[in-house]
Amino acid sequence: MRPRVAAAAGGAIALVVALGACSENTGEGTTVDTNRQQTGVIATDPKDSKGPAAEVPGAQKGGTFTIIRETPISHLDPQRTYSFAGLMASPLFSRYLTTWKDDGKGGLVLVGDLAETPGTNVNNDCKVWEFKIKDGVKFEDGRPITSKEIAYGIARSFDPDLSGGPTYIQEWLADSPQFDTKWDFKANKTSLPPGLTTPDPKTLRFEFAKPRCDLPFAVSLPTTAPLPADKDTGVNLDNQPFSSGPYKIAKNQVGVQLTLDRNPHWDPNTDPVRHQYPDQFVWSFGPTADAANNRVIADNGADQSAIAWNFVPASLVAKVANDPALKQRTILSPTPSANQLVINNQRVKDLKIRQALNYAIDREGLIKSVGGQTVASPLTTLMPPSTIGFKAYDAYPAGANGNVEKAKELLGGQTPELVLGVADSTTEQQIGTQLKGNLERAGFKITVRNIPDDSKLDEVKKKDNPWDLYIGNWAADWPSGASILPVLYDGRTIKPEGNSNSAFFNDPAINAEFDRILALPPAEQGPEWAKLDERIMKEHAPVVPLYVDVAYLVHGSKAGGVFVSSVFGYPSFVNAYVKQ
Amino acid sequence: MSMSPVEGVALAEIDSGGGGADAPKEKGFVGRSPGQLAMLRLRRDRTAMVSGAMLVFFVLVGLAAPLIEALYGISPRDQFQAKLDGFGMPLGYAGGVSGDHFFGLEPNLGRDIFIRLVYGLRTSLLIAFAAAVITAVIGIALGALAGYLGGWLDAVINWITDLTLAMPFLIIALALTPTLTLRFYGERDAVSPAFGVGVLIAVFAIFGWTGTARLVRGQVIALREREFVEAAKASGAGLAHMLFRQLLPNIWAPILVSFSLAVPQFITSEAALSFIGVGLTEETPSFGRMIYQSLDYLQTDPAFVFFPGITIFALVFAFNLFGDALRDALDPKSSR
Repeated sequence: MRPRVAAAAGGAIALVVALGACSENTGEGTTVDTNRQQTGVIATDPKDSKGPAAEVPGAQKGGTFTIIRETPISHLDPQRTYSFAGLMASPLFSRYLTTWKDDGKGGLVLVGDLAETPGTNVNNDCKVWEFKIKDGVKFEDGRPITSKEIAYGIARSFDPDLSGGPTYIQEWLADSPQFDTKWDFKANKTSLPPGLTTPDPKTLRFEFAKPRCDLPFAVSLPTTAPLPADKDTGVNLDNQPFSSGPYKIAKNQVGVQLTLDRNPHWDPNTDPVRHQYPDQFVWSFGPTADAANNRVIADNGADQSAIAWNFVPASLVAKVANDPALKQRTILSPTPSANQLVINNQRVKDLKIRQALNYAIDREGLIKSVGGQTVASPLTTLMPPSTIGFKAYDAYPAGANGNVEKAKELLGGQTPELVLGVADSTTEQQIGTQLKGNLERAGFKITVRNIPDDSKLDEVKKKDNPWDLYIGNWAADWPSGASILPVLYDGRTIKPEGNSNSAFFNDPAINAEFDRILALPPAEQGPEWAKLDERIMKEHAPVVPLYVDVAYLVHGSKAGGVFVSSVFGYPSFVNAYVKQ
Repeated sequence: MSMSPVEGVALAEIDSGGGGADAPKEKGFVGRSPGQLAMLRLRRDRTAMVSGAMLVFFVLVGLAAPLIEALYGISPRDQFQAKLDGFGMPLGYAGGVSGDHFFGLEPNLGRDIFIRLVYGLRTSLLIAFAAAVITAVIGIALGALAGYLGGWLDAVINWITDLTLAMPFLIIALALTPTLTLRFYGERDAVSPAFGVGVLIAVFAIFGWTGTARLVRGQVIALREREFVEAAKASGAGLAHMLFRQLLPNIWAPILVSFSLAVPQFITSEAALSFIGVGLTEETPSFGRMIYQSLDYLQTDPAFVFFPGITIFALVFAFNLFGDALRDALDPKSSR
């Protein structure tokens, strides 16, 4: 009996493999065009900030739009929202001072949201900013939104119990990273933080000790969502935020499902970006990335108007990309999340070695090793292409696969021994293996050292960390060079722990440039940052730019209007609709 | 077909029983020791021979890995990313199978699956065999002592067994490995693959002996009161003689079975542990790591799942069949 069973089992396995092997992979039809022209400006014409938002072609009203995601959104309270899921969910039920008008193809305009314009730089020194609040903007109970409620929202973000959100505005107002000790929200609930005033219900005024030219960008984050003081439920606001946007929380089964209904008091004529097409939005939490994507691919029942929040996992990419029927149901877009091979400049002081690393890098091979062009897109600049004023350049042109000869020439026969620290996660292990092979072909001696995954970020941010190379990632909070270059490469900010400047790059001339550009009006900064970006790479090569993450999403056949946000790189739902 | 050639066994039993050492070469009666009998039975069992041959083959392949590499011309770290498409999937049929790459290429990194399997086989067999032998030795020694001597020693050994069983294996393995690594290597030193292998074997040895120990203890207790043991004791046999001459030869069968089951179990455990970052690093070719990585590609590159999968299937299957046959040969009377 047994041999027969074994033969049958073996035969079945062989058959399955034979069937799987039938199709030849010729590599055709697997090229993905991820190019898009990125432009970004700040609206100077107040008309741009007026509603209603242009109709989405083909959009229909009604239906339920579902978003399937593996883990719950960490915070719904706008003042505590900082995760990507939170930042993309929040616009449905909160409005801010300013917001991005995003065409999903790279065209970005910063417009006034609750404010009539993206801010007035009163004395042209970026120290005093004024925002005029629009007429006709209302909360979900029909009350008008005034500067008082916006100011209250900002004030409550000073409460250490309500942590988790961005801290730019708080730090700038208090002029200190320890803003919660400078001004105590709980003791001063009826007053406002220093520098924040509401001269009248239509005006909100910021006064800073130092020039803060990035304020119009910073107030596009949910910190500036309005809240009436009597609706503040403290930490419980996380479960039931009070809506000022086109939808309001209908039901929140924490960790399972979040249901949003239309907010009848939202007036489309005041809103330059949001729409109110579906009757309902449902965020459904639980299924893994694999399960969610498989469900949406299967396209049955309610999943027809659903989108899988998690990107198509590497294991499914080839299947999705090679299915012509799925092509119309996928969204492919580069994101602003940039990855670098960070060089520890305190250890690797020889510029030639850093330049040789830049010549040696095989970006095409690296991208294949992380899952291919639907996962990553090559990057040769410090700032991602989605940055305002971005100019493409390659300071060390070596082709898609790197130039080993040029690297060896720069090294001049020496074999630098470098230690590459990688997290012990599957992805970084693969990257580590890939980089070791790649760089050793170019004459380096690479030791791969594992760092426990959960502590890797903290460890590489320590000033005296023992590694020479590690993978770094930076996704800016707004697409301005000011939130990238000074944050990552200003050597004066280096402290013992928690450094964003994990390359520990410090050059006085570059630091002075940061100060000069930061004092320019925001509209003029763009090209200057691009110039500085190229200068840093050419003169110092503090890192090896590797790739930007690519968003690859699949949605149901009846889901429409979703695009990948040019600011955060995740799906935006302001235009979403359900095809009937 | 039956696993055990019954007729042959019966004949052999009569041979040794009826003839004995006094009457050699008489009417074709041959005197054979129990070991010779077992070998004879084993040799007559076709399943045992086939599975045994496969095991020998696997071991030889594992030992000859560098030789195979020289003949094959590809090292386990060579990457062939030019033969991958834009998604990092191998070009061509069945995951890139060709004359150059017998089993195709890994997706993403583009390494040769065949040579990695050969090296992975070596790593996995080394770990599994070493761990199985060590656990068997510890288990037999402690179990036999506890069972035969009894009293306070039995209580202490039982207590240690219970304690070991109660310790959470995964959590200790997770906590121990990074600590040990930092104890022996600086933060900038390369961690040698041999260290990872050693840690894995040690972790398995610490946790794996309890089953064998309990099994042996139970068997020894059952035998302890039998007449032949009493007789040996009465004639003044020492402890070593009692254990190794009287007791152990009678309980080889269950020990061998547990050994033959432990080896494939260690192979799969090594896979699981390597996956969660304990023990072997990405650089060391390992069976388990390959299989776990390949599972993600079940839908898109089934060949990557197939080759390591079929190899581990064949290896574990061969082990189990051979273990079965060995038991039959050693102890033909025990019921299945």
